[in-house]
Amino acid sequence: MSQRTERRGIHVDQSDLLCKKGCGYYGNAAWQGLCSKCWREEYQRVRQKQIQDDWALAEKLQREEEAAYASSHGVQTQSHSQASTPQQQPGHASLGPFSKFEEKKTNEKTRKVTTVKKFFSPSSRTASKKEAQEGRTPSPSISRHASFESDQVSKDFVDFLKNLQKPGRDIHKQCRAFIVTMSGKKELSAEELSECVQDFYQNMADRLMSHFKGSSESVEQVMDQVEKYIMTRLYKSVFCPETTDDEKKDLATQNRIRALHWVTIQMLCVSMDEEIPEVSENVVKAITDVIEMDSKRVPRDKLACITRCSKHIFSAIRITKNEPASADDFLPALIYIVLKANPPRIQSNIQYITRFCNPSRLMTGEDGYYFTNLCCAVAFIEKLDAQSLNLSTEEFERYMSGQASPRYSSSEGDWPSSGSGPATATNPVLAQLNHNLELLSGLSDRQETLMEAAQSLQADLLSWPETVQREVHNILEKYPLEIVPCTVSAIDANNMDNENLPPPLTPQVFAG
Amino acid sequence: MAAAAAAGGNSGGGKTYSFKVVLLGEGCVGKTSLVLRYCENKFNDKHITTLQASFLTKKLNITGKRVNLAIWDTAGQERFHALGPIYYRDSNGAILVYDITDEDSFQKVKNWVKELRKMLGNEICLCIVGNKIDLDKDRHVSVEEAESYAESVGAKHYHTSAKLNKGIEELFLDLCKRMMETAQAEERMKGNGSSQAASSRRGVQIVDDEPQATPAGGCCSSG
Repeated sequence: MSQRTERRGIHVDQSDLLCKKGCGYYGNAAWQGLCSKCWREEYQRVRQKQIQDDWALAEKLQREEEAAYASSHGVQTQSHSQASTPQQQPGHASLGPFSKFEEKKTNEKTRKVTTVKKFFSPSSRTASKKEAQEGRTPSPSISRHASFESDQVSKDFVDFLKNLQKPGRDIHKQCRAFIVTMSGKKELSAEELSECVQDFYQNMADRLMSHFKGSSESVEQVMDQVEKYIMTRLYKSVFCPETTDDEKKDLATQNRIRALHWVTIQMLCVSMDEEIPEVSENVVKAITDVIEMDSKRVPRDKLACITRCSKHIFSAIRITKNEPASADDFLPALIYIVLKANPPRIQSNIQYITRFCNPSRLMTGEDGYYFTNLCCAVAFIEKLDAQSLNLSTEEFERYMSGQASPRYSSSEGDWPSSGSGPATATNPVLAQLNHNLELLSGLSDRQETLMEAAQSLQADLLSWPETVQREVHNILEKYPLEIVPCTVSAIDANNMDNENLPPPLTPQVFAG
Repeated sequence: MAAAAAAGGNSGGGKTYSFKVVLLGEGCVGKTSLVLRYCENKFNDKHITTLQASFLTKKLNITGKRVNLAIWDTAGQERFHALGPIYYRDSNGAILVYDITDEDSFQKVKNWVKELRKMLGNEICLCIVGNKIDLDKDRHVSVEEAESYAESVGAKHYHTSAKLNKGIEELFLDLCKRMMETAQAEERMKGNGSSQAASSRRGVQIVDDEPQATPAGGCCSSG
């Protein structure tokens, strides 16, 4: 098959890869074959402007912004210099005005790209591609716009390969060469690009297999790193490429899911009870995971998001049904999650994973199973009709056109809704709200009883002294205090002998 | 997929086969019970440890060869029938389950067989399984009919009961042996006279095979 052509692509002479200045480092096509250092020097001379020679990662982002700003000026000076020295492009000398016009267009694109590149990655790719084709010097902000993330990944990759020593160097060389080759193949269709990458995986795996003497575990480990490195580098140019209609499909699916907003969990027969707090928590997590997939660059990381999402769905089903989830439970639940999440660029992501994921992972592993289910869910949503929701065609049409909403009509019939409002069964937030309201009303009830108790206590306390007083009074009345008058007698009254005493000793008698 | 066998096909003596097996059949015929019985040896048990029963793996050692079996459960509801091709592409084997007390479920199996043979040809090993033989008194699909049908389409027929744990080990063991034979025959065919590189790329070639590439590429747009 295309093995031969692919081989030719990989075997680039080493001297082609080195910096053209002969400093011994590897060069890069985006920097006119110079290494990063020489290119920087070259560029500074042309621009006569200082770019801080600072490699600290923390300052990288800030510098990028600076460069983005500077490039809008920088490219202009550059175009001046090119216009004034037409001998640089002798072949196009006669096309002076036209190429100038072209330049202007690209300038504008460049400026746009550098400012909004984060939001429109495909268009940024076009701009850089155009520049590369026209053999023009891209401004540093363009060539470096892969920036922080790819730098980090390259660093990690090199660190990882250091442990492997000699084969590590070989792997690194192969990967760099492959990325350079791929950057020259931008005109290929997505399928051809996919084939290139898959062939590269296959060749690399074979090489590693012979090197590691058939230890498939270490091969897999290295392959994971290779995939991570390559795909982070190639992501911008091969994710949702313009040669395909992925973007159109993304929009179609997105609109489709929006139009199906009315589909309820009951229509899909999903065995998840969102009124259970743990279940709704898992549902929310699953939705977050499937949305997060779009932010990952490496196919394997995207797969990991799908797997995490699936695990949360399984937990939710397990809690609801208390038995392990079968595919009969899982697929409807996943469909429901996809409908709820409306994951961004879902078609592009699926295509990207299909094209560029290492096939050994995608085809047999657990990740592959969940990915297949996601494909099924999306396919189902696209073809979903009245029959698949057990609705009549008229009902389906009415819901689709927004003339009716199943939530209200069915709340009268299907669910007697036990007096807690029509929306409780469908909306977890409302359910939560109702639950909270119930709690609050319970609380106020309890507070009232407490208040009553406090008041009665107060009344009790107030009446208590009265009762005590009354009792004391009663007792006092019952047993009046009688003070028996005491007859005062002289102390010595009974001493009869006193009279016989001689007068000085006769006691003097005082009246009491 | 067959490529998996190649991916695990180390140059060393210890060869590892990886097989993908899909479980097809109507809802409620006991697909999940079957596979749970096989992988966990439990039936309707509250102590089943696995979180899910839709993707299970089993490692086997058959005549000194290691086999990794990945069992893919599929949603059996009628409305998901159209999604079948996405599930069963690249699988080495298919287990088609019906309920012996339910004539309809046997009809569904016949439909699946037709579809699989049309899409995947003879590459795939088919097993037709009549489950729930513990309910033999309510049998609605006759043994003769089922077995003669299986023979007519080149499939093997098994009777199982997940409840009584009958016939399940045999089913999977037989299937594995047959899948190994198919893989070996394929290897021999590819290995004859072709270079090392060609045989190692065999898996990719199979994946990119024309009739399969079409559903693979458009799986989410048209499938």
